[in-house]
Amino acid sequence: MFSLKPPRPTFRSYLLPPPQAEDKFDSEPKIKKLEPVLLPGEIVVNEVSFVRKCIATDTSQYDLWGKLICSNFKISFVTDDPMPLQKFHYRNLLLGEHDVPLTCIEQIVAVNDHKRKQKVLGPNQKLKFNPTELIIYCKDFRIVRFRFDESGPESAKKVCLAIAHYSQPTDLQLLFAFEYVGKKYHSSASTPNGLPAGGGPGGAQKTPLFEAYSDWDREVKRTGASGWRVSSVNEGYMISTCLPEYFVVPSSLADQDLKTFSHSFVGRRMPLWSWSHPNGSALVRTALVKDLQQRKIDQRICNAITKSHPQRSDVHKSDLDKTLPNIQEIQAAFVKLKHLCVNEPFEETEERWLSSLESTRWLEYVRAFLRHSAELVYTLDSRRVSVVLQEEEGRDLSCVVASLVQVMLDPYFRTIPGFQSLVQKEWVMAGHQFLDRCNHLKRSEKESPLFLLFLDATWQLLDQFPAAFEFSETYLAVLGDSTRISLFGTFLFNSPHQRVKQSTEFAISRNIQLGDEKGLKFPSVWDWSLQFTAKDRTLFHNPLYVGRSAPCVRNSSGKAFKRTKRNCSSTLRGMPASLRNGLLGDQDSLPRRNSLILQVRPEPPPHAGGPDGGLERFFGEWLCRPADLHGLLLPRLSGAHIKLWKLCYFRWVPEAQIDRGGFITAFHRLSLLADEVDVLSRTLRQHRAGPLEAAYAELGQSRMYFRARGPQDASGTPAFLSSSFPFSPVGNLCRRSISGTPLSAFLSGAKTWLSTETLAPED
Amino acid sequence: MASASTSKYNSHSLENESIKRTSRDGVNRDLSEAVPRLPGETRITDKEVIYICPFNGPIKGRVYITNYRLYLRSLETDSALLDVPLGVISRIEKMGGATSRGENSYGLDITCKDMRNLRFALKQEGHSRRDMFEILTRYAFPLAHSLPIFAFLNEEKFNVDGWMVYNPVEEYRRQGLPNHHWRITFINKCYELCDTYPPLLVVPFRATDEDLKRVATFRSRNRIPVLSWIHPENKTVIVRCSQPLVGMSGKRNKDDEKYLDVIRETNRQISKLTIYDARPSVNAVANKATGGGYESDDAYHNTELFFLDIHNIHVMRESLKKVKDIVYPNVEESHWLSSLESTHWLEHIKLILTGAIQVADKVSSGRSSVLVHCSDGWDRTAQLTSLAMLMLDSFYRSIEGFEILVQKEWISFGHKFASRIGHGDKNHADADRSPIFLQFIDCVWQMSKQFPTAFEFNERFLMTILDHLYSCRFGTFLYNCESARERQKVTERTASLWSLINSNKDTFKNPFYTKEINRVLYPVASMRHLELWVNYYIRWNPRIKQQPNPVEQRYMELLALRDEYIKRLEELQLANSAKLSDPSTSPSSPSQMLPHVQTHF
Repeated sequence: MFSLKPPRPTFRSYLLPPPQAEDKFDSEPKIKKLEPVLLPGEIVVNEVSFVRKCIATDTSQYDLWGKLICSNFKISFVTDDPMPLQKFHYRNLLLGEHDVPLTCIEQIVAVNDHKRKQKVLGPNQKLKFNPTELIIYCKDFRIVRFRFDESGPESAKKVCLAIAHYSQPTDLQLLFAFEYVGKKYHSSASTPNGLPAGGGPGGAQKTPLFEAYSDWDREVKRTGASGWRVSSVNEGYMISTCLPEYFVVPSSLADQDLKTFSHSFVGRRMPLWSWSHPNGSALVRTALVKDLQQRKIDQRICNAITKSHPQRSDVHKSDLDKTLPNIQEIQAAFVKLKHLCVNEPFEETEERWLSSLESTRWLEYVRAFLRHSAELVYTLDSRRVSVVLQEEEGRDLSCVVASLVQVMLDPYFRTIPGFQSLVQKEWVMAGHQFLDRCNHLKRSEKESPLFLLFLDATWQLLDQFPAAFEFSETYLAVLGDSTRISLFGTFLFNSPHQRVKQSTEFAISRNIQLGDEKGLKFPSVWDWSLQFTAKDRTLFHNPLYVGRSAPCVRNSSGKAFKRTKRNCSSTLRGMPASLRNGLLGDQDSLPRRNSLILQVRPEPPPHAGGPDGGLERFFGEWLCRPADLHGLLLPRLSGAHIKLWKLCYFRWVPEAQIDRGGFITAFHRLSLLADEVDVLSRTLRQHRAGPLEAAYAELGQSRMYFRARGPQDASGTPAFLSSSFPFSPVGNLCRRSISGTPLSAFLSGAKTWLSTETLAPED
Repeated sequence: MASASTSKYNSHSLENESIKRTSRDGVNRDLSEAVPRLPGETRITDKEVIYICPFNGPIKGRVYITNYRLYLRSLETDSALLDVPLGVISRIEKMGGATSRGENSYGLDITCKDMRNLRFALKQEGHSRRDMFEILTRYAFPLAHSLPIFAFLNEEKFNVDGWMVYNPVEEYRRQGLPNHHWRITFINKCYELCDTYPPLLVVPFRATDEDLKRVATFRSRNRIPVLSWIHPENKTVIVRCSQPLVGMSGKRNKDDEKYLDVIRETNRQISKLTIYDARPSVNAVANKATGGGYESDDAYHNTELFFLDIHNIHVMRESLKKVKDIVYPNVEESHWLSSLESTHWLEHIKLILTGAIQVADKVSSGRSSVLVHCSDGWDRTAQLTSLAMLMLDSFYRSIEGFEILVQKEWISFGHKFASRIGHGDKNHADADRSPIFLQFIDCVWQMSKQFPTAFEFNERFLMTILDHLYSCRFGTFLYNCESARERQKVTERTASLWSLINSNKDTFKNPFYTKEINRVLYPVASMRHLELWVNYYIRWNPRIKQQPNPVEQRYMELLALRDEYIKRLEELQLANSAKLSDPSTSPSSPSQMLPHVQTHF
């Protein structure tokens, strides 16, 4: 929760809105223009005109005039005024430039500065004063301010109350996604499967959702796991309502055994297989056994896991509840981090920034998860022992740890489809309670940003190994943002069963024929084309990433060498045999750290000095070898290496924005070059000896957001690039104006916002 | 078992580079000695020791000492473990006595200027330690033994002459000087006006040499206000000097006041001259007690004075000591951020950058001429003017431009390198030592981190400069001022660091560099963006050591790929045109020309 800090400008214009603005509303066609763009099923609940969106706190000269609208999906601010000072806007197709989805709202504060009153608005509340100002605190750290000086006082009040009401629904079925999907089903009645399951174009079809038996089966084969099988025992959620319908279990356990054992586990969440190492050790996650008396069940399960290990090695149990911070602590750390990042005035936190950051404990927790996951990587990889993650319910910390272990060990999960399948497998299907943890229904006690923590930890790995991931940090940030748009079935429910149950109920109430379908199909977040154009989606791609099969020139000698690959790959991994043959000659040209390729080891790893000494050595030896980007990755964990994810947390802070700087500028140069190489290779492939320019003219094919305009494009850094790119702080965090040179203004900072302590809370 | 990897643990940039370099420079490498040697480097002694590596424990080795370096080879693996120029040694201590018991408790502890310590255990019998101690002391601190600094013995030859990089007349001409407001004066040709200034100075056209002499009497160590940089468009200037000699009684000097007014009048756009006093105001006031002070309002009309709150050399020295405490040998783990904060190092970096930004912003956006000083005008002043110039003038962001900047604002204007670094001097506790230049390089690194495409040079360039700041292999950073260098004939008798760098320029180039002529760089001087320069300060720790920059590496790979494709394409075009002109030749098969051309990322 944000502390109440309703901002108030010291300088307020009492002038009427400029006459042009008045004129604007006189002419009929212009009024038409000020209409929100609505999605299917979206309805306008309330609206008010002559609203001012505040851009800066010290001046109203940049403020925008327009209409504030509350729909059942979003807050929309519609204006004709161009955005001042803004150089770039990453456009989300679902949202207008000034829109905030209702599920992204953290807190709503109405202020009357004449009466010096303020109130945090809950659902179904009354407001005794007419608000002059509305402040929206968003979950993604934005703070948006509207002023009602020239609006009708009653309509302003009504909009405020409507926003408060609709952003805090009491029931899951009131979330917009239901209305949207309902509409879609109605409008495409002839084709009940109107919505593609994984979501149409944009590479979504490549993402296995793990809703079906076949996805699990393929994953078992992909990892080469022997001794494991897909079980259908939970079909129709007959055993557990928080497990997926299909999951993978030791082959030695029969469905009947599973049924018997399931009663002993919290939530009937028996051990689920996550992944297998090529050496045969498996990663398994489970809830706790409820009753100490039933220890023997635990033992039987462990025996079964041992049996599924080719070397019959023991099982290593990791009790996550005992070794990692709990969800409340993680939430508390995140709240502190949020306070610190949006704190105003900026200069106030500068002096003790580092220790303040440390005391939020956020980085400490990120490190703890990375460290623990890395230790389990050691167990799986070097000790070749299967790992069982234990947690009370097995659906929170386990999601983070299971995913991180796999990102470190399996390069497939560092590709976009792989990463998406990982989120499906270890989060969505494993029953991570997105509804509660994202707090879509505003019952704050269950909120905890575990998914963001996972994205942050992934970012740390990306930051340390920038060429090992197919995706960019923009992708990670946008994925995090997507959890706050209540449209995607991916992040809406506490379990797959909840989706089926709730949407079936909803379908019945709306007379939607479901046919054979198990519940309504919601749009998947992996259908990125719903949110971004093909061009904008290219920003998800990391130009540094080298795919497994790419020819790669190591030094100026021009000699191509092969990136290491895993022998265990089946159909889904690896490269075409033809290519492989062509490149085999150089197989050992590089020192490797990828222990994964060492399939058959003649002897077990030495264990001198006990397991801890082994761990230390494992880390030490790995760190002094050059990293194999297609092999095992281990995070560097020292204080100097775990950093704050600036793009995610500072993107709205104008003072922290490096104009025409930041990593993106190097990314830009790299993209230009990569694009040029693409064009050249395409030209070569087409055997076209014609002029180069022809190939550049072939737009649309580029994988790069930034494109070379010709051979050896040497143009400078575009003015719209900044460390916040592709996001823009303008209008997203009301701060002092940043026109001209920002620096002189900030360097001698004076407080411009009135302290809220002087405002009396209403009631 | 462990020793197999130790050679990797200890290999580091300086060592690798100097090995590479020596071979590139065609230096003899006497295999029987197993030590790389520079021309002019002579072997003094060698000794069997146990190197107590803080990361991997004791390692048996043989240490070789030359008049330039300390070199250690492992006895077990016969690989090089250490290659340390003696110039980096700050202090040599004996540890343990003749009666000390316990393994490896008797030997030497060497403190280095580059953030590390070296420990060697020696045998107690046979004076082996005394010999090594005496030889090391003698060659690491040649000044105390009336020996020459190695740079004077170094016979390395380079195909470019780094001493030619900076020619003041040319540099001022590049800036458009002299012009009708500013003239070049040779009044200091024989260092008569100011012995710590360069011979050639740029002063207001309207100030006569007589005026300058009178002003000199009122400025600490005669360091009068002279031009450092002029804005190519608005013609505002950055002027540097030392503090005015106001003293307790609040003395005034009409000539100094008039001189500042003349400087102000060269800029017609703003009616005031802005003075940045780099010090905290308390320090400026305290300086009155020793005869110094600052420009008061009542004496200097038409000026506005700001204090930039940058602390003195002693504070900076202590701060760096604290940094070493938290990074060497072990990196503080549990409370890294608060430990880092308690060193105040980044806070000092922030204040310096903030000051430089203000100077640059005033000149560029404020269109006001700026005068910068601290106490003597050779530490904080050099930091501020050079950083502001780096922000304002893209020329200084190229490799040669940066060399000129260092040569001009630091070396020629008398930053006291000899006193601050203590080249060849055994007095490790000298209160004059301070990491002022290191701080400047750190600020440059912070800027290059925020603007990865704005600088022609890479991190290796900055680290190489710092390595040779201490190494004494080159004459570049020797002595306190130009007059001393001239007396010692440094340019004739030593090689310049820029010779080494400019003859291997590719090694030091940033592949992302995009030349942008008129762009002013404003870094964000916020703690949110400032970082500890891990690759420099923690580079001895094998656990921290970074991989070669993967972004840079990938870029180089792509560049090579591009060149290869272009080559193939040209071949293809050539083949095609040949085909057209000579129909008799059989068409080459496409597969022959295009073996697996594809780029997946």
